[in-house]
Amino acid sequence: MERPQELLKPVKRRLIYLTFALALIVELVPLPVGSVRWLPDFVGMLILYWVLNQPSRVGIGTAFLLGLIADVATAGLFGQHALAYTITAYLVLLRQRQLVMFNLGVQAIVVLGLLQVNQLIMVIARMATGSAFVGWSFFLPPLVGALLWPLLTNLLVLPYRQRSL
Amino acid sequence: MDFANTPSFFRQGPRPLVRLISCATLSVALLVADSRYGLMEPAREALSVVLYPLQWAVNAPVSGVRDLSSFFTTQSELQQENAKLRTAALSNAAQLGRLATVERELTELKALAQIASSRTDVAAQAEVLYTGRDAFTYKLIIDRGTNAGLKGGMPVLDGHGLLGQITRVQPLTAEVTLVVDKNQMVPVMIERTGQRAILYGYGGGVELRYMPIHADIKEGDRLVTSGIDSVFPPGVPVAQVGKVDRNAGAAFARVACIPYAGVQSSRYVLVVSEKSMPPAPAPAQPVVPLDAKAAKAAAKAAKKGEGKDAKTKSTAKAATPASGPR
Repeated sequence: MERPQELLKPVKRRLIYLTFALALIVELVPLPVGSVRWLPDFVGMLILYWVLNQPSRVGIGTAFLLGLIADVATAGLFGQHALAYTITAYLVLLRQRQLVMFNLGVQAIVVLGLLQVNQLIMVIARMATGSAFVGWSFFLPPLVGALLWPLLTNLLVLPYRQRSL
Repeated sequence: MDFANTPSFFRQGPRPLVRLISCATLSVALLVADSRYGLMEPAREALSVVLYPLQWAVNAPVSGVRDLSSFFTTQSELQQENAKLRTAALSNAAQLGRLATVERELTELKALAQIASSRTDVAAQAEVLYTGRDAFTYKLIIDRGTNAGLKGGMPVLDGHGLLGQITRVQPLTAEVTLVVDKNQMVPVMIERTGQRAILYGYGGGVELRYMPIHADIKEGDRLVTSGIDSVFPPGVPVAQVGKVDRNAGAAFARVACIPYAGVQSSRYVLVVSEKSMPPAPAPAQPVVPLDAKAAKAAAKAAKKGEGKDAKTKSTAKAATPASGPR
Protein backbone atom coordinates (compact mmCIF):
# COMPACT_ATOMS: atom_id res chain seq x y z
CA MET A 1 0.00 0.00 0.00
CA GLU A 2 1.71 3.11 -1.24
CA ARG A 3 0.92 6.00 0.94
CA PRO A 4 -1.06 8.68 -0.88
CA GLN A 5 0.77 11.95 -0.95
CA GLU A 6 -2.22 13.87 0.20
CA LEU A 7 -2.23 17.48 1.21
CA LEU A 8 -2.83 17.92 4.87
CA LYS A 9 -3.59 20.97 6.92
CA PRO A 10 -0.68 22.16 9.00
CA VAL A 11 -0.41 20.43 12.33
CA LYS A 12 -1.19 22.55 15.35
CA ARG A 13 1.09 22.50 18.34
CA ARG A 14 -1.97 22.10 20.55
CA LEU A 15 -2.75 18.71 19.06
CA ILE A 16 0.71 17.44 19.80
CA TYR A 17 0.42 18.44 23.43
CA LEU A 18 -3.04 16.97 23.63
CA THR A 19 -1.93 13.60 22.31
CA PHE A 20 0.94 13.45 24.75
CA ALA A 21 -1.40 14.34 27.58
CA LEU A 22 -3.75 11.56 26.51
CA ALA A 23 -0.91 9.07 26.36
CA LEU A 24 0.21 10.04 29.86
CA ILE A 25 -3.37 9.66 31.07
CA VAL A 26 -3.41 6.15 29.68
CA GLU A 27 -0.27 5.48 31.71
CA LEU A 28 -2.04 6.74 34.80
CA VAL A 29 -5.35 4.92 34.38
CA PRO A 30 -5.73 2.39 37.18
CA LEU A 31 -5.91 -0.63 34.93
CA PRO A 32 -6.00 -4.22 36.11
CA VAL A 33 -2.56 -5.47 37.03
CA GLY A 34 -2.23 -8.03 34.25
CA SER A 35 -2.75 -5.47 31.46
CA VAL A 36 0.75 -4.06 31.95
CA ARG A 37 2.10 -7.23 30.39
CA TRP A 38 0.71 -6.47 26.96
CA LEU A 39 -0.28 -2.81 26.91
CA PRO A 40 2.15 -0.91 24.65
CA ASP A 41 4.02 2.18 25.73
CA PHE A 42 1.80 4.85 24.21
CA VAL A 43 4.09 7.74 25.12
CA GLY A 44 6.96 6.02 23.34
CA MET A 45 4.83 5.36 20.27
CA LEU A 46 3.64 8.95 20.12
CA ILE A 47 7.17 10.25 20.40
CA LEU A 48 8.16 8.02 17.49
CA TYR A 49 5.14 9.22 15.53
CA TRP A 50 5.73 12.92 16.04
CA VAL A 51 9.48 12.73 15.54
CA LEU A 52 8.79 10.87 12.33
CA ASN A 53 6.14 13.26 11.06
CA GLN A 54 7.05 16.58 12.67
CA PRO A 55 10.80 16.47 13.22
CA SER A 56 11.01 20.25 13.38
CA ARG A 57 8.55 20.39 16.30
CA VAL A 58 9.29 17.26 18.28
CA GLY A 59 12.89 16.29 18.68
CA ILE A 60 15.33 14.79 21.11
CA GLY A 61 14.75 17.45 23.76
CA THR A 62 11.00 16.83 23.82
CA ALA A 63 11.58 13.11 23.99
CA PHE A 64 13.87 13.62 26.95
CA LEU A 65 11.36 15.79 28.84
CA LEU A 66 8.50 13.39 28.17
CA GLY A 67 10.71 10.57 29.30
CA LEU A 68 11.22 12.32 32.62
CA ILE A 69 7.47 12.77 33.05
CA ALA A 70 6.89 9.13 32.11
CA ASP A 71 9.45 8.13 34.71
CA VAL A 72 7.48 9.85 37.40
CA ALA A 73 4.15 8.61 36.09
CA THR A 74 5.24 4.99 36.02
CA ALA A 75 7.12 5.28 39.29
CA GLY A 76 10.19 3.87 37.58
CA LEU A 77 13.77 4.85 38.00
CA PHE A 78 14.43 8.49 37.25
CA GLY A 79 15.94 8.69 33.75
CA GLN A 80 15.26 5.26 32.33
CA HIS A 81 12.44 6.35 30.04
CA ALA A 82 14.28 9.57 29.28
CA LEU A 83 17.35 7.68 28.10
CA ALA A 84 15.33 5.23 26.01
CA TYR A 85 13.19 7.91 24.36
CA THR A 86 16.20 10.10 23.66
CA ILE A 87 18.04 7.33 21.88
CA THR A 88 15.07 6.11 19.83
CA ALA A 89 14.20 9.68 18.85
CA TYR A 90 17.73 10.11 17.61
CA LEU A 91 17.57 6.85 15.68
CA VAL A 92 14.37 8.03 13.98
CA LEU A 93 15.90 11.41 13.18
CA LEU A 94 18.87 9.72 11.50
CA ARG A 95 16.69 8.20 8.81
CA GLN A 96 13.60 10.37 9.12
CA ARG A 97 13.41 11.32 5.42
CA GLN A 98 13.57 7.67 4.45
CA LEU A 99 11.13 6.38 7.02
CA VAL A 100 8.45 8.91 6.15
CA MET A 101 8.34 7.54 2.64
CA PHE A 102 7.75 3.95 3.73
CA ASN A 103 4.27 2.52 3.72
CA LEU A 104 2.61 1.76 7.02
CA GLY A 105 3.50 -1.94 7.05
CA VAL A 106 7.21 -1.30 6.74
CA GLN A 107 6.95 1.56 9.19
CA ALA A 108 5.30 -0.79 11.67
CA ILE A 109 8.22 -3.18 11.40
CA VAL A 110 10.67 -0.32 11.98
CA VAL A 111 8.57 0.86 14.90
CA LEU A 112 8.64 -2.66 16.34
CA GLY A 113 12.41 -2.55 16.25
CA LEU A 114 12.55 0.90 17.83
CA LEU A 115 10.12 -0.03 20.59
CA GLN A 116 12.17 -3.12 21.32
CA VAL A 117 15.23 -0.88 21.54
CA ASN A 118 13.26 1.17 24.08
CA GLN A 119 12.52 -1.90 26.16
CA LEU A 120 16.07 -3.15 25.85
CA ILE A 121 17.51 0.15 27.08
CA MET A 122 15.15 0.13 30.03
CA VAL A 123 16.02 -3.45 30.90
CA ILE A 124 19.70 -2.66 30.72
CA ALA A 125 19.24 0.47 32.84
CA ARG A 126 17.29 -1.45 35.49
CA MET A 127 19.64 -4.39 35.54
CA ALA A 128 22.67 -2.12 35.74
CA THR A 129 21.16 -0.49 38.81
CA GLY A 130 20.57 -3.79 40.52
CA SER A 131 17.12 -5.04 39.57
CA ALA A 132 16.44 -8.63 38.55
CA PHE A 133 15.49 -9.56 34.99
CA VAL A 134 11.70 -9.42 34.68
CA GLY A 135 11.31 -12.13 32.05
CA TRP A 136 10.86 -12.21 28.29
CA SER A 137 7.24 -11.10 28.50
CA PHE A 138 8.68 -7.62 28.96
CA PHE A 139 9.32 -7.61 25.20
CA LEU A 140 5.71 -8.43 24.29
CA PRO A 141 4.20 -4.89 24.44
CA PRO A 142 6.21 -3.63 21.42
CA LEU A 143 4.55 -6.32 19.27
CA VAL A 144 1.13 -5.01 20.23
CA GLY A 145 2.39 -1.49 19.67
CA ALA A 146 3.60 -2.34 16.15
CA LEU A 147 0.24 -3.89 15.34
CA LEU A 148 -1.47 -0.72 16.51
CA TRP A 149 0.85 1.55 14.52
CA PRO A 150 -1.24 1.82 11.31
CA LEU A 151 -4.31 2.51 13.38
CA LEU A 152 -2.51 5.22 15.33
CA THR A 153 -1.21 6.87 12.19
CA ASN A 154 -4.62 6.93 10.53
CA LEU A 155 -6.20 8.24 13.69
CA LEU A 156 -3.75 11.10 14.06
CA VAL A 157 -3.98 12.09 10.41
CA LEU A 158 -7.75 12.29 10.67
CA PRO A 159 -8.01 15.87 12.01
CA TYR A 160 -5.81 17.19 9.22
CA ARG A 161 -7.52 15.79 6.20
CA GLN A 162 -8.99 18.41 3.96
CA ARG A 163 -12.72 18.63 4.38
CA SER A 164 -13.22 18.33 0.65
CA LEU A 165 -11.83 14.80 0.60
CA MET B 1 25.04 13.81 10.60
CA ASP B 2 23.48 16.55 8.57
CA PHE B 3 20.32 15.90 6.70
CA ALA B 4 20.95 16.24 3.01
CA ASN B 5 18.09 18.60 2.42
CA THR B 6 18.37 20.75 5.47
CA PRO B 7 19.34 24.21 4.27
CA SER B 8 22.54 24.90 6.09
CA PHE B 9 21.86 28.62 6.37
CA PHE B 10 18.99 28.06 8.80
CA ARG B 11 20.22 27.95 12.33
CA GLN B 12 18.49 24.99 13.85
CA GLY B 13 20.19 24.85 17.17
CA PRO B 14 22.66 22.11 18.05
CA ARG B 15 22.99 19.16 15.74
CA PRO B 16 21.06 15.99 16.61
CA LEU B 17 24.14 14.04 17.68
CA VAL B 18 25.12 16.77 20.11
CA ARG B 19 21.60 16.81 21.48
CA LEU B 20 21.58 13.05 21.75
CA ILE B 21 24.82 12.97 23.63
CA SER B 22 23.83 15.72 26.02
CA CYS B 23 20.39 14.27 26.70
CA ALA B 24 21.68 10.72 27.07
CA THR B 25 24.45 11.83 29.40
CA LEU B 26 21.94 13.77 31.42
CA SER B 27 19.58 10.82 31.72
CA VAL B 28 22.38 8.44 32.64
CA ALA B 29 23.46 10.97 35.27
CA LEU B 30 19.88 11.07 36.54
CA LEU B 31 19.72 7.29 36.60
CA VAL B 32 22.86 7.06 38.67
CA ALA B 33 21.82 9.91 40.93
CA ASP B 34 18.44 8.29 41.53
CA SER B 35 19.48 4.70 41.98
CA ARG B 36 22.75 5.16 43.82
CA TYR B 37 22.29 8.32 45.83
CA GLY B 38 18.52 8.91 45.87
CA LEU B 39 19.12 12.54 44.93
CA MET B 40 16.12 12.88 42.68
CA GLU B 41 13.40 12.68 45.31
CA PRO B 42 12.70 16.45 45.37
CA ALA B 43 12.49 16.54 41.55
CA ARG B 44 10.23 13.52 41.57
CA GLU B 45 8.02 15.17 44.14
CA ALA B 46 7.82 18.38 42.10
CA LEU B 47 6.97 16.48 38.93
CA SER B 48 4.37 14.39 40.72
CA VAL B 49 2.69 17.60 41.85
CA VAL B 50 2.53 18.64 38.20
CA LEU B 51 1.11 15.24 37.32
CA TYR B 52 -1.48 15.29 40.07
CA PRO B 53 -4.25 17.02 38.06
CA LEU B 54 -3.85 14.37 35.36
CA GLN B 55 -3.98 11.65 37.94
CA TRP B 56 -7.06 13.17 39.49
CA ALA B 57 -8.73 13.52 36.09
CA VAL B 58 -8.06 9.88 35.35
CA ASN B 59 -9.21 8.60 38.68
CA ALA B 60 -12.29 10.78 38.99
CA PRO B 61 -14.48 8.75 36.60
CA VAL B 62 -13.31 5.48 38.12
CA SER B 63 -14.03 6.53 41.67
CA GLY B 64 -17.30 8.08 40.49
CA VAL B 65 -18.43 4.77 39.03
CA ARG B 66 -17.38 3.02 42.20
CA ASP B 67 -19.36 5.45 44.33
CA LEU B 68 -22.36 5.04 42.11
CA SER B 69 -22.25 1.27 42.28
CA SER B 70 -21.91 1.34 46.04
CA PHE B 71 -24.91 3.68 46.18
CA PHE B 72 -27.01 1.11 44.39
CA THR B 73 -26.06 -1.82 46.60
CA THR B 74 -29.07 -4.04 46.98
CA GLN B 75 -31.01 -4.33 50.18
CA SER B 76 -30.51 -8.09 50.42
CA GLU B 77 -26.79 -7.69 50.07
CA LEU B 78 -26.78 -5.20 52.91
CA GLN B 79 -28.88 -7.49 55.06
CA GLN B 80 -26.64 -10.43 54.34
CA GLU B 81 -23.59 -8.44 55.19
CA ASN B 82 -25.20 -7.12 58.32
CA ALA B 83 -26.02 -10.62 59.54
CA LYS B 84 -22.54 -11.80 58.77
CA LEU B 85 -21.00 -8.89 60.62
CA ARG B 86 -23.25 -9.49 63.59
CA THR B 87 -22.13 -13.11 63.86
CA ALA B 88 -18.57 -12.00 63.51
CA ALA B 89 -19.05 -9.45 66.29
CA LEU B 90 -20.56 -12.12 68.54
CA SER B 91 -17.75 -14.55 68.04
CA ASN B 92 -15.26 -11.74 68.49
CA ALA B 93 -16.87 -10.73 71.76
CA ALA B 94 -16.66 -14.30 73.03
CA GLN B 95 -13.04 -14.48 72.02
CA LEU B 96 -12.35 -11.14 73.63
CA GLY B 97 -13.87 -12.30 76.88
CA ARG B 98 -11.70 -15.36 76.86
CA LEU B 99 -8.70 -13.22 76.11
CA ALA B 100 -9.45 -10.88 79.00
CA THR B 101 -9.64 -13.85 81.39
CA VAL B 102 -6.41 -15.26 80.11
CA GLU B 103 -4.74 -11.88 80.42
CA ARG B 104 -5.87 -11.47 84.00
CA GLU B 105 -4.58 -14.93 84.82
CA LEU B 106 -1.31 -14.07 83.17
CA THR B 107 -0.78 -10.91 85.22
CA GLU B 108 -1.68 -12.83 88.37
CA LEU B 109 0.77 -15.59 87.55
CA LYS B 110 3.46 -13.09 86.67
CA ALA B 111 3.10 -11.34 90.03
CA LEU B 112 3.17 -14.71 91.78
CA ALA B 113 6.20 -15.85 89.85
CA GLN B 114 8.03 -12.70 90.85
CA ILE B 115 7.25 -13.31 94.50
CA ALA B 116 8.06 -17.00 94.23
CA SER B 117 11.46 -16.26 92.75
CA SER B 118 12.29 -13.70 95.41
CA ARG B 119 11.32 -15.96 98.32
CA THR B 120 13.32 -18.90 99.50
CA ASP B 121 10.60 -20.47 101.58
CA VAL B 122 8.02 -21.29 98.92
CA ALA B 123 6.46 -24.67 99.56
CA ALA B 124 4.12 -24.89 96.62
CA GLN B 125 2.30 -22.95 93.99
CA ALA B 126 -1.33 -23.88 93.75
CA GLU B 127 -4.50 -23.09 91.88
CA VAL B 128 -7.76 -22.38 93.61
CA LEU B 129 -10.20 -25.19 92.90
CA TYR B 130 -13.30 -23.71 94.45
CA THR B 131 -14.43 -21.64 97.36
CA GLY B 132 -16.01 -23.31 100.35
CA ARG B 133 -19.73 -23.76 100.07
CA ASP B 134 -20.36 -22.65 103.63
CA ALA B 135 -21.67 -19.11 103.54
CA PHE B 136 -20.51 -18.32 107.05
CA THR B 137 -16.86 -19.08 106.64
CA TYR B 138 -14.37 -17.77 104.11
CA LYS B 139 -12.37 -20.67 102.84
CA LEU B 140 -10.74 -21.74 99.62
CA ILE B 141 -9.83 -25.19 98.43
CA ILE B 142 -6.52 -25.39 96.56
CA ASP B 143 -5.23 -28.19 94.39
CA ARG B 144 -2.21 -29.17 96.46
CA GLY B 145 -2.23 -31.22 99.61
CA THR B 146 0.05 -33.49 101.51
CA ASN B 147 1.33 -34.71 98.18
CA ALA B 148 3.07 -31.37 97.79
CA GLY B 149 4.29 -31.33 101.35
CA LEU B 150 1.71 -28.90 102.65
CA LYS B 151 1.01 -28.81 106.36
CA GLY B 152 -1.63 -27.15 108.41
CA GLY B 153 -0.68 -23.66 109.47
CA MET B 154 1.30 -22.72 106.41
CA PRO B 155 0.69 -19.14 105.27
CA VAL B 156 -0.78 -18.60 101.81
CA LEU B 157 0.03 -15.56 99.67
CA ASP B 158 -1.03 -14.27 96.33
CA GLY B 159 0.53 -11.67 94.09
CA HIS B 160 -0.56 -8.77 96.28
CA GLY B 161 -0.24 -9.93 99.82
CA LEU B 162 -1.25 -12.36 102.50
CA LEU B 163 -4.29 -14.41 101.64
CA GLY B 164 -4.73 -16.69 104.61
CA GLN B 165 -3.51 -19.83 106.25
CA ILE B 166 -3.88 -23.52 105.57
CA THR B 167 -6.20 -25.01 108.13
CA ARG B 168 -6.84 -28.48 106.82
CA VAL B 169 -4.81 -30.71 104.53
CA GLN B 170 -6.10 -33.61 102.50
CA PRO B 171 -3.92 -35.84 100.34
CA LEU B 172 -4.58 -33.90 97.16
CA THR B 173 -6.22 -30.71 98.32
CA ALA B 174 -5.94 -28.25 101.13
CA GLU B 175 -8.29 -25.81 102.75
CA VAL B 176 -7.21 -22.21 103.15
CA THR B 177 -8.88 -20.02 105.71
CA LEU B 178 -8.81 -16.47 104.43
CA VAL B 179 -7.76 -13.52 106.54
CA VAL B 180 -11.31 -12.20 106.40
CA ASP B 181 -12.70 -15.31 108.07
CA LYS B 182 -14.26 -14.78 111.45
CA ASN B 183 -11.74 -16.63 113.54
CA GLN B 184 -8.62 -15.67 111.65
CA MET B 185 -6.05 -13.48 113.37
CA VAL B 186 -2.82 -12.14 111.95
CA PRO B 187 -0.15 -10.42 113.99
CA VAL B 188 0.72 -7.30 112.02
CA MET B 189 2.82 -4.21 112.28
CA ILE B 190 2.02 -0.74 111.07
CA GLU B 191 4.77 -0.29 108.53
CA ARG B 192 5.10 3.44 109.09
CA THR B 193 5.52 3.39 112.84
CA GLY B 194 6.45 -0.17 113.59
CA GLN B 195 3.66 -0.48 116.13
CA ARG B 196 2.40 -4.02 116.50
CA ALA B 197 -1.22 -5.04 116.52
CA ILE B 198 -3.43 -7.96 115.74
CA LEU B 199 -5.62 -8.00 112.68
CA TYR B 200 -8.90 -9.78 113.20
CA GLY B 201 -11.09 -11.13 110.49
CA TYR B 202 -14.75 -10.62 111.20
CA GLY B 203 -16.33 -12.53 108.38
CA GLY B 204 -16.07 -10.60 105.16
CA GLY B 205 -13.50 -8.04 106.27
CA VAL B 206 -10.63 -7.30 108.58
CA GLU B 207 -10.13 -4.82 111.38
CA LEU B 208 -7.61 -3.90 114.02
CA ARG B 209 -8.92 -4.31 117.49
CA TYR B 210 -7.72 -3.01 120.80
CA MET B 211 -5.91 -0.05 119.35
CA PRO B 212 -5.64 2.75 121.90
CA ILE B 213 -7.69 5.80 120.99
CA HIS B 214 -4.63 7.97 120.54
CA ALA B 215 -2.59 5.38 118.66
CA ASP B 216 -0.61 6.83 115.77
CA ILE B 217 -2.54 5.30 112.94
CA LYS B 218 -4.20 6.92 110.01
CA GLU B 219 -5.97 6.11 106.82
CA GLY B 220 -3.75 4.60 104.14
CA ASP B 221 -1.20 3.02 106.49
CA ARG B 222 0.14 -0.32 105.33
CA LEU B 223 -0.10 -3.28 107.65
CA VAL B 224 2.52 -5.98 107.18
CA THR B 225 3.05 -9.20 109.06
CA SER B 226 5.29 -8.64 112.03
CA GLY B 227 6.84 -12.08 112.01
CA ILE B 228 6.91 -12.48 115.75
CA ASP B 229 4.48 -15.35 115.77
CA SER B 230 6.55 -18.13 114.20
CA VAL B 231 3.85 -18.67 111.62
CA PHE B 232 3.83 -15.82 109.14
CA PRO B 233 7.02 -14.65 107.49
CA PRO B 234 7.74 -11.01 108.34
CA GLY B 235 7.05 -8.15 105.98
CA VAL B 236 4.24 -9.58 103.89
CA PRO B 237 1.69 -6.87 103.13
CA VAL B 238 -1.67 -7.78 104.60
CA ALA B 239 -4.04 -4.86 104.58
CA GLN B 240 -4.40 -1.15 104.25
CA VAL B 241 -5.97 0.94 106.95
CA GLY B 242 -9.31 2.17 105.74
CA LYS B 243 -11.31 4.23 108.19
CA VAL B 244 -10.15 5.11 111.69
CA ASP B 245 -13.07 5.78 113.97
CA ARG B 246 -12.03 7.34 117.27
CA ASN B 247 -15.09 7.43 119.46
CA ALA B 248 -14.50 9.33 122.68
CA GLY B 249 -16.96 7.07 124.51
CA ALA B 250 -15.15 3.85 123.66
CA ALA B 251 -11.88 2.59 125.05
CA PHE B 252 -10.45 1.60 121.69
CA ALA B 253 -10.43 3.02 118.23
CA ARG B 254 -12.25 1.15 115.53
CA VAL B 255 -9.91 0.62 112.61
CA ALA B 256 -11.44 -0.91 109.50
CA CYS B 257 -8.95 -2.31 107.02
CA ILE B 258 -8.95 -3.50 103.45
CA PRO B 259 -6.95 -6.63 102.66
CA TYR B 260 -4.39 -6.34 99.86
CA ALA B 261 -4.70 -9.85 98.60
CA GLY B 262 -7.44 -10.57 96.12
CA VAL B 263 -9.27 -12.44 98.81
CA GLN B 264 -12.21 -13.27 96.65
CA SER B 265 -10.60 -12.99 93.27
CA SER B 266 -7.20 -14.61 92.99
CA ARG B 267 -6.90 -17.87 91.11
CA TYR B 268 -3.31 -18.75 91.79
CA VAL B 269 -1.77 -18.77 95.21
CA LEU B 270 1.58 -19.39 96.78
CA VAL B 271 1.99 -21.53 99.89
CA VAL B 272 5.06 -20.69 101.93
CA SER B 273 6.47 -22.71 104.75
CA GLU B 274 6.03 -21.53 108.28
CA LYS B 275 8.64 -19.19 109.58
CA SER B 276 11.57 -21.19 110.87
CA MET B 277 12.37 -20.58 114.46
CA PRO B 278 15.94 -20.35 115.63
CA PRO B 279 16.96 -23.75 117.01
CA ALA B 280 16.19 -24.10 120.66
CA PRO B 281 19.28 -23.96 122.88
CA ALA B 282 20.51 -27.36 124.05
CA PRO B 283 19.33 -28.26 127.52
CA ALA B 284 21.97 -27.49 130.14
CA GLN B 285 24.34 -30.39 130.94
CA PRO B 286 23.87 -31.92 134.35
CA VAL B 287 26.77 -30.99 136.61
CA VAL B 288 29.24 -33.86 136.73
CA PRO B 289 30.75 -34.71 140.13
CA LEU B 290 34.45 -34.00 140.04
CA ASP B 291 36.08 -37.14 141.38
CA ALA B 292 38.91 -38.69 139.45
CA LYS B 293 37.21 -41.91 138.58
CA ALA B 294 34.22 -40.25 137.26
CA ALA B 295 36.47 -37.82 135.44
CA LYS B 296 38.41 -40.65 133.85
CA ALA B 297 35.24 -42.41 132.85
CA ALA B 298 33.93 -39.17 131.52
CA ALA B 299 37.11 -38.58 129.54
CA LYS B 300 36.91 -42.07 128.13
CA ALA B 301 33.34 -41.60 127.26
CA ALA B 302 34.18 -38.26 125.74
CA LYS B 303 36.99 -39.80 123.68
CA LYS B 304 34.72 -42.53 122.47
CA GLY B 305 31.98 -40.07 121.90
CA GLU B 306 34.32 -37.75 120.00
CA GLY B 307 34.76 -40.30 117.27
CA LYS B 308 31.08 -40.84 117.17
CA ASP B 309 30.54 -37.14 117.37
CA ALA B 310 32.86 -36.52 114.48
CA LYS B 311 30.91 -39.00 112.47
CA THR B 312 27.60 -37.52 113.40
CA LYS B 313 29.01 -34.06 112.86
CA SER B 314 30.02 -34.86 109.34
CA THR B 315 26.63 -36.31 108.61
CA ALA B 316 25.07 -33.31 110.22
CA LYS B 317 27.23 -31.07 108.05
CA ALA B 318 26.05 -32.88 104.99
CA ALA B 319 22.52 -32.56 106.17
CA THR B 320 22.61 -28.92 107.20
CA PRO B 321 22.92 -27.32 103.73
CA ALA B 322 19.71 -29.01 102.72
CA SER B 323 17.83 -27.80 105.73
CA GLY B 324 19.85 -24.62 106.14
CA PRO B 325 17.95 -22.24 103.83
CA ARG B 326 14.70 -23.08 105.55
